[in-house]
Amino acid sequence: MAASVREKQTVALKRMLNFNAPPLKNTAAEPVWKVLIYDRFGQDIISPLLSVKELRDMGITLHLLLHSDRDPIPDVPAVYFVMPTEENIDRICQDLRNQLYESYYLNFISAISRSKLEDIASAALAANAVSLVTKVFDQYLNFITLEDDMFILCHQNKELISYHAINRADLQDTDMEAIMDTIVDSLFCFFVTLGAVPIIRCPRGNAAEMVAVKLDKKLRENLRDARNSLFTGDSMAAGQFSFQRPLFVLADRNVDMATPLHHTWTYQALIHDVLDFHLNRVMMEEGAGAEPSPAGARPKKKSRKTYDLTAADKFWQKHKGSPFPEVAESVQEELDTYRAQEDEVKRLKSIMGLEGEDEGAISMLSDNTAKLTSAMSSLPELLEKKRLIDLHTNVATAVLDHIKSRKLDVYFEYEEKLMSKSTLDKSLLDIISDPDAGTSEDKMRLFLIFYITAQLAPSESDLEQYKKALTDAGCDLSPLNYIKQWKAFTKMAATPANYGNSGVKPMGLFSRVMNTGSQFVMEGVKNLVLKQHAIVFVVGGGNYIEYQNLVDYTKSKQGKKVIYGCSELFNAAQFIKQVRQLTCYLLPPLTCPPAAFNLSTCYL
Amino acid sequence: MAVDITLLFKASVKTVKTRNKAIGIGFDSTKDEIFKRSRPKGGFSPKAKEVITNITKLKEFLLQHRKDYVSAGSLISSDLTRMTDSERDQIDQDAQIFMRTCSEAIKQLRNEAEKQVMSAQIKEHRGAVLDLVEMYLKGVCKIYSEQRAIRVKRMFEQENQRLISEMNSLVDEVKQIEGKVVEISRLQEIFAEKVLQQETEIDSIHQLVVGATENVKEGNEDIREAIKNNAGFRVWILFFLVMCSFSLLFLDWYDS
Repeated sequence: MAASVREKQTVALKRMLNFNAPPLKNTAAEPVWKVLIYDRFGQDIISPLLSVKELRDMGITLHLLLHSDRDPIPDVPAVYFVMPTEENIDRICQDLRNQLYESYYLNFISAISRSKLEDIASAALAANAVSLVTKVFDQYLNFITLEDDMFILCHQNKELISYHAINRADLQDTDMEAIMDTIVDSLFCFFVTLGAVPIIRCPRGNAAEMVAVKLDKKLRENLRDARNSLFTGDSMAAGQFSFQRPLFVLADRNVDMATPLHHTWTYQALIHDVLDFHLNRVMMEEGAGAEPSPAGARPKKKSRKTYDLTAADKFWQKHKGSPFPEVAESVQEELDTYRAQEDEVKRLKSIMGLEGEDEGAISMLSDNTAKLTSAMSSLPELLEKKRLIDLHTNVATAVLDHIKSRKLDVYFEYEEKLMSKSTLDKSLLDIISDPDAGTSEDKMRLFLIFYITAQLAPSESDLEQYKKALTDAGCDLSPLNYIKQWKAFTKMAATPANYGNSGVKPMGLFSRVMNTGSQFVMEGVKNLVLKQHAIVFVVGGGNYIEYQNLVDYTKSKQGKKVIYGCSELFNAAQFIKQVRQLTCYLLPPLTCPPAAFNLSTCYL
Repeated sequence: MAVDITLLFKASVKTVKTRNKAIGIGFDSTKDEIFKRSRPKGGFSPKAKEVITNITKLKEFLLQHRKDYVSAGSLISSDLTRMTDSERDQIDQDAQIFMRTCSEAIKQLRNEAEKQVMSAQIKEHRGAVLDLVEMYLKGVCKIYSEQRAIRVKRMFEQENQRLISEMNSLVDEVKQIEGKVVEISRLQEIFAEKVLQQETEIDSIHQLVVGATENVKEGNEDIREAIKNNAGFRVWILFFLVMCSFSLLFLDWYDS
């Protein structure tokens, strides 16, 4: 697995866009133009990996949504990249009937069923367009890779497989089956793209186990059919397969409810928490700051700006996991180096300017010509660097504004202390009643973390005090009920909660899973010790804090690579919203745990 | 890894066909073939493709002759593969004209496309297509200009080399001459020395010769005197003898 998941998926996409042939290496090959048609799923998969410029370079002149009005362009081949759903198939058949394009290359994100294939076949026959359908492929790319070592399952329709969907009280068996199928389909596509069959480990008794069982079954079925197996072929060296099966650890969100609520201090996680950040794209409002406009003045026009944080952005790659103060310093440093280089170029320019008047130093000319050429060729780099510096300055400033106005550093430190059970210098009540520190949501988060991490439940009177303070601060107390139920259940399930210091020493979720999962690990496979690659997947949703912990953990262990995945990404605000919705389903204080946790009895 | 299910699709098509035949629905394929898809905008795409094929021809031409053009100049290659500079200039000129016509064609297509009234999507598509063609042209131009840069650089290098070798040979000659001149001056020194030596000797010889002439003159004189003395002495001896003889004779007579 020398190439990362991101590279593998990008290569697969590029291959698909080159009419399913491996792209040629030679420069200045004849351009072949094509039109790319995708649905929202396809768009989410492609957008973190390929920029519009890269698409243009590959010859894609237009990229359009499937369900939009599209005009016929009769002399151009069209590449489709869609999910094989009913409506998509119908639209494709409609396109065939309307003879929009010259030829059709159909690529389905996950495998298409035989009946739907026949639907397309009959539409093609009716439109006499069978010869135009040049290639049909199952791409098995039904997951979104955000980083070299991080992926999520989907972004569109994520409420179908969200934490809320899996844990709600009125969940039916059929619903659960559908959710599990979706998750397993995506995971299967992930492993096909990775080109490795994993060894699956999961804890017992919850949604993660169901996923594991189904995935195992699907992998076995596929491997059994040796002729059509997706795991043989040129994408895998034989040695890789037999010696390096990666370890796939499944975890359920319910194992750790505190981390999604945690306030964070690293750059990427902060952006996700505080700004609008999806699929590696930040959306911010420019212009007006956090201060209210003076009375009587017309408010400044707010323009929305989007920034893409990509793999090519070296600063981002270096600093996305750094603590925020470091980031601010580094931006300053980058700005200084940029200014130095800019001055160098300006100096050369002035020397060259003088050169025309002063006949003397011909030797200086030749030296400076070389310097000038190198400066000219590095000019685009310099401009790009400036753009990135501006980008990060804006983003970091916005984050800083939030931190200052909500006093997020205070929350972070306090939560760290709570989670590591060290002594607290301020009482919780003080922070909650402080009107300057944070929004009501921040206070709710803090309190929930306190509640989750407390060894002994707080006494009734204390609880009432806290509740009153929270209500005074404007918090909605409904998530608390759900957390109470959850805590009661997890106590029954007798897994000792062990929250390490999630910021500095990265223990957190991964090591706890490894601790609980280690029992299963010790059971069997001896060569588990030699494992070099592992994939951790959280069913029910994850976030960047866990990802960052994992990255830090991997850095400390030499030679091990860990990939992090989750069924969806949410920040604390979205998580609380889901918990709040869950609470709506709950009846007033239950003595038995909510229905979702009956999985252990139903599905074992 | 993607799975090609095109064959599965074709099989599905067959299944549907047979099913439809069984049910009795037939799709008149013949009728539709007569009304082949009307091609309303037939002009744009073939023209764009034509420009591309032209640019490809240029690219292949450049790449084909690249080796000769750049001509790494090994001594092994025969003269047949070498290009003369005039040929190279010809290639340069042709390539430039060609590139100009191609970019003109692209511009023309763009203008046409803008004038034609059509949907926004088709406009965007055509704009993007022309952008791609332009990029392709730029790529090929880059090949050409790289080649040319190499050639020009090589040409300057060659001239440089030539000048250097000329200068070197001149320097050698000058060194040789210098050596010879030094030798000559040395020999002249020796000559002068020897001549001076000989001068003193000749002077002394001259003196000696002058002395000898004088001596010889005196000797001559002395010999003349000696001869005279000798002659005088002889006379006296002769007289004596004669006197003696007369005396004798007298005496003899007297006695008689």
